Amino acid sequence: MTREKTRAGKHLSELLMNAYMGIHGRAAEGAFVVWGAIIVPPEIFRGFENVVLCVPESHAALCAGKGVGSEECLKAEALGYSMDLCSYARIDIGSLSDGYQDSPTFGLPRPDLLVSDNNNCSLLVKWFDVHRREMGVPHFILDVPFCYGPQQEKDLAYILSQFRDLIAMVESMTGETFDEGRFREAAHHTAEGVRQWKRFMSFARHRPSGLTVFDSFVQMAPLFTSRGTPEFAEHYKLLADEVAERVAAGVFPVPNEKYRLLWDNIAPWHQLRKMSERLAELGANIVAAPYTSCIGSLEGSFAPFDLDKDTDPLWHLARSQNHSVCPMGMDLRLAALGSAIEEVGIDGVVFASNRSCKVFSVMQMDEQRLIGEKYGLPTVMIDVDHADVRKFSEQSAYLRLEALLENIEAGRVG
Amino acid sequence: MKNARAMIEQLRKGGKPVVGCFPLYPPLELMHSMGLLPVVLWGLRDSVSDTRDADRHVQPYACSVARQLAQFVIADGPGLLDGLFFYNACDTLRNLPELLREGIAGSRRITPPMFRVHVPMKEDGASGYLANEIANLIKALQASYGVSFSEERFARSVSLYERARRLCRRLEDAVAEGVLTFAGFSAALASANFLAVEDQIALLESTLSDCEGSITQPSATRVIASGILPPPPVICDLIELAGLRVAGNDIASMHRSYAFSPEAWGNVRDYYVAFYRDHFPCTTLLHTADRRVDAVVDIVSSRHADAFVFVGEKFCEYEYFELPYLEQQLKKSGVPVLSIEVSIDDDGSAETFRTRIDAFAELLSGREGRHDA
Ligand code: SF4
Ligand code: SF4
Repeated sequence: MTREKTRAGKHLSELLMNAYMGIHGRAAEGAFVVWGAIIVPPEIFRGFENVVLCVPESHAALCAGKGVGSEECLKAEALGYSMDLCSYARIDIGSLSDGYQDSPTFGLPRPDLLVSDNNNCSLLVKWFDVHRREMGVPHFILDVPFCYGPQQEKDLAYILSQFRDLIAMVESMTGETFDEGRFREAAHHTAEGVRQWKRFMSFARHRPSGLTVFDSFVQMAPLFTSRGTPEFAEHYKLLADEVAERVAAGVFPVPNEKYRLLWDNIAPWHQLRKMSERLAELGANIVAAPYTSCIGSLEGSFAPFDLDKDTDPLWHLARSQNHSVCPMGMDLRLAALGSAIEEVGIDGVVFASNRSCKVFSVMQMDEQRLIGEKYGLPTVMIDVDHADVRKFSEQSAYLRLEALLENIEAGRVG
Repeated sequence: MKNARAMIEQLRKGGKPVVGCFPLYPPLELMHSMGLLPVVLWGLRDSVSDTRDADRHVQPYACSVARQLAQFVIADGPGLLDGLFFYNACDTLRNLPELLREGIAGSRRITPPMFRVHVPMKEDGASGYLANEIANLIKALQASYGVSFSEERFARSVSLYERARRLCRRLEDAVAEGVLTFAGFSAALASANFLAVEDQIALLESTLSDCEGSITQPSATRVIASGILPPPPVICDLIELAGLRVAGNDIASMHRSYAFSPEAWGNVRDYYVAFYRDHFPCTTLLHTADRRVDAVVDIVSSRHADAFVFVGEKFCEYEYFELPYLEQQLKKSGVPVLSIEVSIDDDGSAETFRTRIDAFAELLSGREGRHDA
């Protein structure tokens, strides 16, 4: 699906273009602009008529995907930011530093409020502090306790109370009253979109798979630009329907799929096309990744965590604040990896060791060993940086990937 | 200093359970008041000759603090420590507990019981949450060790720790006055970390009394040192040899740890709410970021320092995210900054750093209006 533009691919481009233009347009008309971290629930802001949300991490991923990640990183490094810091942060700080000259979205409108969280990582808070100092705008920290087991009741209550504080803060800053009805509606649009996302992802179970993980990486973007809107739900329905049609018609991204792989880490944004094509030539398809399959699930799980009509959406959002891999301990991560392996059917696992995202990567050595032991699967560790291509050695990565395929093959012959 | 292993072995002879606490600011007073002996697991450089066990579990791009802690706990934890305590001090540390468990299980030993609290990284609205975390910690310690808690004993422990912190502040003054070397001060604190607080006080008092009557070192250009841990001895020596005196510090295991204790509090829960909320600013206490630059500038000016030396721990994102702004603000106020990076891979030789430290000292010596003392 990455090779020819599908209907969903075209729709995605339009949706993103409209979303970014919409954000700029509304900001120009005086809307209150929030910059939020990726896991901060956008539905909360949809509860206000005149508030728009931008997600710097998503903008950074787009920059990396468009090939300007390293250039933007260099700008941040020139300001004194260490090359060891997360490349999303460096891209964001770098691109802002020269007024977004190389941004594919004309940047982001200036914020009135920054909302970070420490569940994916605490460095997001440090990163947003950079903007707070630079721009002199308030910074709300959503403090989410890390989970070593299922989220605890006390932590859920704490998160919920912070959501309420955040709502009160936006109310006081904007003078607008939070509209519970708008919020509920947004939450249900999201829930419907996420249901469709899960449906789309379920085609990875098909042999050959109906999708590659690279499709799912690319298709994540609306989660950060359009959640809580009818367009969001429509987009993912279109996507899932299209994949269903293609599967029914026998059209597969890797028709000669011999090796079904799992990817453990963030998307290597600068490699999507190249990696999917090279692997496809070898009959390999990375069919799933906890990074994308965690969407719409709870910590440690692969199963849908749906919002029904009787559930308080704010509670539902608080309950799912630990879903995104990084806020989970290793036992939960292994459980999530394990269910992906079992449900999707995996022949080998690629652990992408990403020194730019230590929170995702620090525990991968044990994960690799334990997954290998439990499932008897060949695994490999490759070095990547999700957004800074300078820290990616193509040659060494592909050598290792090829070795993984040979290992799988050897296991079959034996 | 004896190495940490030898000191903890000594500590255990008293028969009280020893709890190894992950850095940076664990609730030491509480554990002490319950009859436990808490030690903070940092400054382990001299206690681990290599990180071979840790390297099988922790990626090489974790900082040296985390890797040395992992090595120490995996290799020696089960025999030396009766418990492990951690809080959400940083992203790397929060990822370690299960890796340590795996490392220890790999050699068929049993992981000591682990205790954990989540410290809210917010200024407002989280006091109830933290109070509950502290109450839960007390219950967990009681259940594990059969110990009990009393507010009275807690108050006594608080006053002991406050006394130790006051002594540290006086020793910092002694370094500023030139009657104690910074290397000597760091070594005393490193040893104190692996003692019961009563013995810490004795050690700090004797270090202080040794300073009295000491000959003041020749005048030197005054600098403030900053970082997570004090610079390795080789760098301390180079700094002093270059004619610089560490007249104050903003080091996490030093000034940031001993600068503050809550003054007015009603019970253990109030104490820790104030302890974390109003703590001396640290890059890892996310809600203190607003106060940090002012606090650092204040150290520089109250110590009449001419310059700032940042000794960065490689891969510590907390420190490196704040460095450019801090540097900018200090330079704006006319304070030159030297930034050097230390990592676990340094070969321990002086040469890597000598040229830069000497050049910096030379630059400072050419400036007017220095505060030589
Ligand atoms: S370190 Fe990882 S989790 Fe944190 S912002 Fe960067 S990519 Fe995201
Ligand atoms: S040096 Fe930094 S990254 Fe390392 S343990 Fe300390 S706070 Fe964490």
